Amino acid sequence: MAGIYVYSDKKEFVPELISLAVAAGKPAFVITYSQETAREIIGYGAEKIYVLKGESVLAENYAKATAEFLQSEAADLFVVGATPRGRDIAARVAGYLDCAMVSDITTIKCTGEVIETERSIYGGAVVQTEILDGFSVVTIPAGKFEATAFRATSGSTDEIETISVKADTRVSVVSRVPISKDGVNLKDAEKVVCIGLGMDKEEDIQMARELARIIGAEIACTRGIAEENHWLPVSSVIGISGAVIKAKLYLGMGVSGQIQHVYGIREAKIIVAVDSNKNAPIFKAADYGIVGDMYEIVPLLTAALK
Amino acid sequence: MSKIVVCYKWVVDEADIRIDVSSVDTTKARRKISDYDRNAIEAGVQAASSVNGKAVGLTFGTSAARQSIKDALSRGLEEGFYVNAEEAATADGTVTAKALAAAVNKINDVKMVICAEGASDTFARQTAPRIGAILDWPVITSVCKMEFSGNKLTAVRKMDDCQETVTAELPLVVAVLPEINAAPIPGLRAVMAAGKKTVTEFKSEELKIDFAPKARITGLKGYVMSRKNIVFDEGDAGEKVSQLVTALKKEGVL
Repeated sequence: MAGIYVYSDKKEFVPELISLAVAAGKPAFVITYSQETAREIIGYGAEKIYVLKGESVLAENYAKATAEFLQSEAADLFVVGATPRGRDIAARVAGYLDCAMVSDITTIKCTGEVIETERSIYGGAVVQTEILDGFSVVTIPAGKFEATAFRATSGSTDEIETISVKADTRVSVVSRVPISKDGVNLKDAEKVVCIGLGMDKEEDIQMARELARIIGAEIACTRGIAEENHWLPVSSVIGISGAVIKAKLYLGMGVSGQIQHVYGIREAKIIVAVDSNKNAPIFKAADYGIVGDMYEIVPLLTAALK
Repeated sequence: MSKIVVCYKWVVDEADIRIDVSSVDTTKARRKISDYDRNAIEAGVQAASSVNGKAVGLTFGTSAARQSIKDALSRGLEEGFYVNAEEAATADGTVTAKALAAAVNKINDVKMVICAEGASDTFARQTAPRIGAILDWPVITSVCKMEFSGNKLTAVRKMDDCQETVTAELPLVVAVLPEINAAPIPGLRAVMAAGKKTVTEFKSEELKIDFAPKARITGLKGYVMSRKNIVFDEGDAGEKVSQLVTALKKEGVL
């Protein structure tokens, strides 16, 4: 049936996607590959929950079956939560159906048959508007739409329809190991101290740690520190390919401020930069900056805040 | 010899873009091989040595992308393939994937297609899964490690909450994360040798695909960040620090 079909491998994210469909004035249909998930999504305002059931534990293996299902239902739009798995499935569906797809949209407007989206490009420096023709796929990062309130229902399961499909079993899962977060959750951190390639030696991270300890901040870094120098784990990276923070305070030391990094900090309330190069782009992105040698400034700052 | 095709994109260097609220000017910007594609190329070179194959590069771009080929070949690829099409200027994810997949079909004996997870300009992360769907090959994305055993690939994927190890038979398509390797900077000898490698060019009409984009760009505007931009650069270090501390206390963020 025509309408907006939504999917996320994170079930807590599905109500937000349903909200989007409701806001667009279209019926919302949920697709899931798990009976258990289907039961938990009842009551959030979807017209119907479809369980595509097959012989694989890997959600991506249902991409082709999902594409065929969406086509047979004459869906208007497929909205997917932008997680690694969600993006993969979304793009495969778009590939199978040869249709438009916009990744990580920030806004969407549905006017009649016309869908208009906005997203960031060039590391967040530019906002691009697109008009999509025909059935389309979009992915949405978490937190863009307010979730529908839970509508208490009688708990009936008649909204769920299970459809047997053929999963693609050419890729099989060998193992899954939970990622140890190293105690760092940058997304929710209230304060963040970030080091960049202006830092000379790995031992000097201690200086950043000391400041972070005093003000109660998490330690983060730019991509180069983790991926080139291997001084901190990749989970500590802030930027378009890492964490996007919403901290009250971000304090960068030796961070030049490449736009891919700035993308990850621009939702922070106050941005502070310490760098020796007064022309570093970070100062344009900062509320407060000190032009100076971080080896001199940071210990003084730590002492002042003790 | 079977081939591993690494797809790469010749992009605008975002550091050179001139941006204000209403306009985005890329005319004076330099171009570069997309940052993450350098890791994809290195992954292809390493994979080729594991499977006793040949790593080749493939790009889809306008005539401006021609200058990318030597750069790509200097990074260890043995041969280049170039879809030279002005349609690339208006291509969306649909057109790009169809063009690359059609080109893969024209290259003999391809065992694997490797892309970066996303390009440094658009970072849309669509190309690898789309190519996989068009070719109807298995796809493995978010790959941070690869191991080959005969015709089988075992790959470690970095998901948001777990590391997932998966396995599949070649041929297949993978999307690699930049952390999969440290892409070396090519030496002078590699740059010299790149000029002598074979390059095959495909014209758009040879691909027999529809180049009409399904997503049409209707606007580009600069993202404007409004910040206080107060820089303390006068006086000695102690004075600067005390000015900063005063300001932060006033903001109530300490």
